[in-house]
Amino acid sequence: MVPTAVYFGLFFFVPFGLIVCFSFWTDSNYTVVHDWTLDNYRYFLENAVYWHTMIATLWVAVAATAITLGVAFPFSYWLSRYVRPGLQKPLLVLVIVPFWTSYLLRVYSWLNILGDEGLVNTALKKAGIIDQPMSLLYHRWTVILVLVYLYFPFAALTLYSSIDRFDWDQLRAAMDLGASPTTALRKILLPQIRAGITTAVIFVLIPILGEYLAPQLVGGIEGVMTGNQIDSFQQGALYARASALSLIVAGFIVLLLILFRKSLASKEAYGA
Amino acid sequence: MAREESVLSRRGRIARSSLLVYGGFIYLFLFTPIVLLVLFSFNANEYGSFPITGWTLSWYRQVFGDPDIQDALRTTLSVGYKVTIVSVLLGTTAAFSLVRGGVRFPAGFRVAMTLPIMIPGILIGISLLILFTQILHLPLSPTSAVIGQSLYTTPFVLLLVAARLEGFDRNLERAASDLGANAFNRLRLIVIPLIFPSILAGALFAFTLSFDEFVITNFIIGSYNTLPIYIYTQIKYGITPEVNALAAMVLMASIALLALAFVVPATYRLVRKAFTRRVAPAAP
Amino acid sequence: MSEEHTALTRAELLKRGGVAAAGLTAFGASDALAATMRGARAENVTLAWLTWFDHYFPQQLKTTLKQTGIACRPKLAPSDSEIYTTIRTTGSQFDIAAMDALWVPYAHKSGLTESFDLNSMKAAKQLYPDARHIPFWKDGSNSMAFPNGWSTIQIYYNPKFVTTKPDSYDALLDPKYKKKIIYENSPETWIAFGGLATGAKVPYNQTIPEIARSKAWLEKIKPNVLKIVNQNFETVNALKDGSCWIGLGNLGVDLRVKAAGGPPIKVAYPKEGLCGWFDGEQMVKASKHKDVFLQFMDSVESQTYWAAQNFLKNGRPMFNEAAYKLLVKWGYKARADAFNYTKPELIFKANLQGPAKNQQQITDAFNEVFGG
Repeated sequence: MVPTAVYFGLFFFVPFGLIVCFSFWTDSNYTVVHDWTLDNYRYFLENAVYWHTMIATLWVAVAATAITLGVAFPFSYWLSRYVRPGLQKPLLVLVIVPFWTSYLLRVYSWLNILGDEGLVNTALKKAGIIDQPMSLLYHRWTVILVLVYLYFPFAALTLYSSIDRFDWDQLRAAMDLGASPTTALRKILLPQIRAGITTAVIFVLIPILGEYLAPQLVGGIEGVMTGNQIDSFQQGALYARASALSLIVAGFIVLLLILFRKSLASKEAYGA
Repeated sequence: MAREESVLSRRGRIARSSLLVYGGFIYLFLFTPIVLLVLFSFNANEYGSFPITGWTLSWYRQVFGDPDIQDALRTTLSVGYKVTIVSVLLGTTAAFSLVRGGVRFPAGFRVAMTLPIMIPGILIGISLLILFTQILHLPLSPTSAVIGQSLYTTPFVLLLVAARLEGFDRNLERAASDLGANAFNRLRLIVIPLIFPSILAGALFAFTLSFDEFVITNFIIGSYNTLPIYIYTQIKYGITPEVNALAAMVLMASIALLALAFVVPATYRLVRKAFTRRVAPAAP
Repeated sequence: MSEEHTALTRAELLKRGGVAAAGLTAFGASDALAATMRGARAENVTLAWLTWFDHYFPQQLKTTLKQTGIACRPKLAPSDSEIYTTIRTTGSQFDIAAMDALWVPYAHKSGLTESFDLNSMKAAKQLYPDARHIPFWKDGSNSMAFPNGWSTIQIYYNPKFVTTKPDSYDALLDPKYKKKIIYENSPETWIAFGGLATGAKVPYNQTIPEIARSKAWLEKIKPNVLKIVNQNFETVNALKDGSCWIGLGNLGVDLRVKAAGGPPIKVAYPKEGLCGWFDGEQMVKASKHKDVFLQFMDSVESQTYWAAQNFLKNGRPMFNEAAYKLLVKWGYKARADAFNYTKPELIFKANLQGPAKNQQQITDAFNEVFGG
């Protein structure tokens, strides 16, 4: 714990302190001047646009997280329970392998799938279902779809590593005692992997709140998220503004983590 | 075991087959954009999109003649493996402390260690840049990139391993202790093997995150290039499918390595089994 | 906590700590070794060049390496403000940095760059005279930057859908163009468009009331904007596949759409005036290799062949006059003339990119308009 603490103390918390200071300083002439002020925070708290965007960002993040977990859970369940042990690890790594290409290229591929001249529209046109291309890109839901694609491996890996140690005989025992399969799943499996589910939520929800590239590429004007606004400030070398907005988002996340700390530190339901 | 087909009820078999189909669809979903990506690496159309104007290997040839892209790939791999090792070491040790005591405010520690994921990479990058250049006066290099990236990847390892450790049945260790295992052996023979899937998952996470990390790295790697940086910069002015070709090659290499990593030990085990069957069972 | 447990954690800690320490030392050692090897192998210098991707070709750098023994590691420059901050914070990390128009004197004044004797360079003889004597790039008899290329930003439209030529920024507000307009993610230029539409004096350096008026204009154009892009080839793609009818951009967009297999695109020059930029390469003051800057730049910029290729590939004019002669020889006179290649004086009349006193208000206004 000590090496980690020292490492993070120096390389994260000291710079983090800098960010906090920046948020209370002033942007001027492309540099941050050490004039203490609340102006940055006041600006964001006063301007409805930023709240609007933050709420939209939150809802995109929650939707994307829920869908990602919903899609990943059956997959991880299948992999843990029904796949031969020797095949499990290769199949798992196969999930990650596509992500050793480039984030940008993967998102750009979606432009080729959903675009006006892309895969989906061309297929539908050839099948005679539509005349004019459907507008599939540059909506909020497009961003959600692409985010689900991008974060699926995180959720799948996390859930798998949690489901993997589950003793499946417990389910049979429960069913022998009269429980239906779904009840057995709900009352036996889920509580034991609660820590894993919560971790998966953290791995997906939190980074999504800071996303800006995917929204920029496939979201259009409709899909702007808070990350895009932070990026705009960064581009103009307005670090005080950028820090303040980021800390507001981070503060909100910390609040969420504190509220849900009980789910995070669950002791095992049985044994130990 | 519940996996044995013969033991499953009819409902179990339906569940098993439908989940198999589901798994198939997932892989289809995951790989369709990738297949497109590889497809366009052979497309003569220099805009890397439809229509397919012709088939060509020229983009691959370009990659081999491009020292910038090769340099970027080398840097990326070198940074990647170091980041993986650092995050696994730091994350696992911290997870043990978090879950097994040694931390006075576990909830607070957890939040603190999750902070790097919460703060947008832009800010981590900027503040690290200032730390390195104005406070520590360190030159920027791939090493500074390793430091920056591991700040971002370690929390993933930590949280994964901690989640697995949480539900760890301590009775197993007590039983081992009763049978005479000391602390080190308990760790080596019981705990680590059982939490190994989480460590592996963490390592995979760390490497994957590092391999694709752009934002933080761009700030603190100075004048060096990694593959994501190279690709982003290429893309700004017109992505040529040279980038697709490179990505396709990296993909093929990863799959080949993956196959090796699993086929080789499996073959080894098969061979060993074939040779040890002759050995007589140990005397009671 | 049982004693055994403490022993466990301490033991594992020491073990891991030891491994970690050994590992980090190994990394440090291997890095140092690699660095020494790199250094020992080449007396050759490697210059770090922070520039835009359309300022060089890899083969150009290879030729320079052969001619001068100087290697180069280019890195993409993001926006001017980001280059400015990068050079300021990274000191000697970069040797050469590109920048636009009015940013160059700003960087020089801030002590980030050093001027050099442009006219002593062989490559300078290939430049248009106007480019050799850019007044606000002069520092005595020296120059602050070596000029590269230029472009104005104009309106490109698909005549099949856009039947009246949009020769004014206000023409873009027509509700007919709902979600059919595309431009890049440059807050300063968006506000500058607004400034030109609402009569601001210096579009790239507006006063606070002017910014407020520009912002109001942007609110009016917002419903017509489909997407704000980071990559300017996305403008080309959008015009090509018809998802956009109007795209603002640098010179050459129509050509690139045609090359991509898209429909014929026409150009319109808004009558309120054009935004524009021209760029050049500067010598970073903190660089450790200033002594080879002139030699390197001279070698790179003398390669007329590549300057001509640069125009053909990227579609916007270079300041290299000798390259024009090559283009004529190759049969591209008509295209070069269509882009006003021989009239670099035009760009000095455009509204030039440069630092703004009220950058914060500009980005604020942009975010407030284009936020979700």
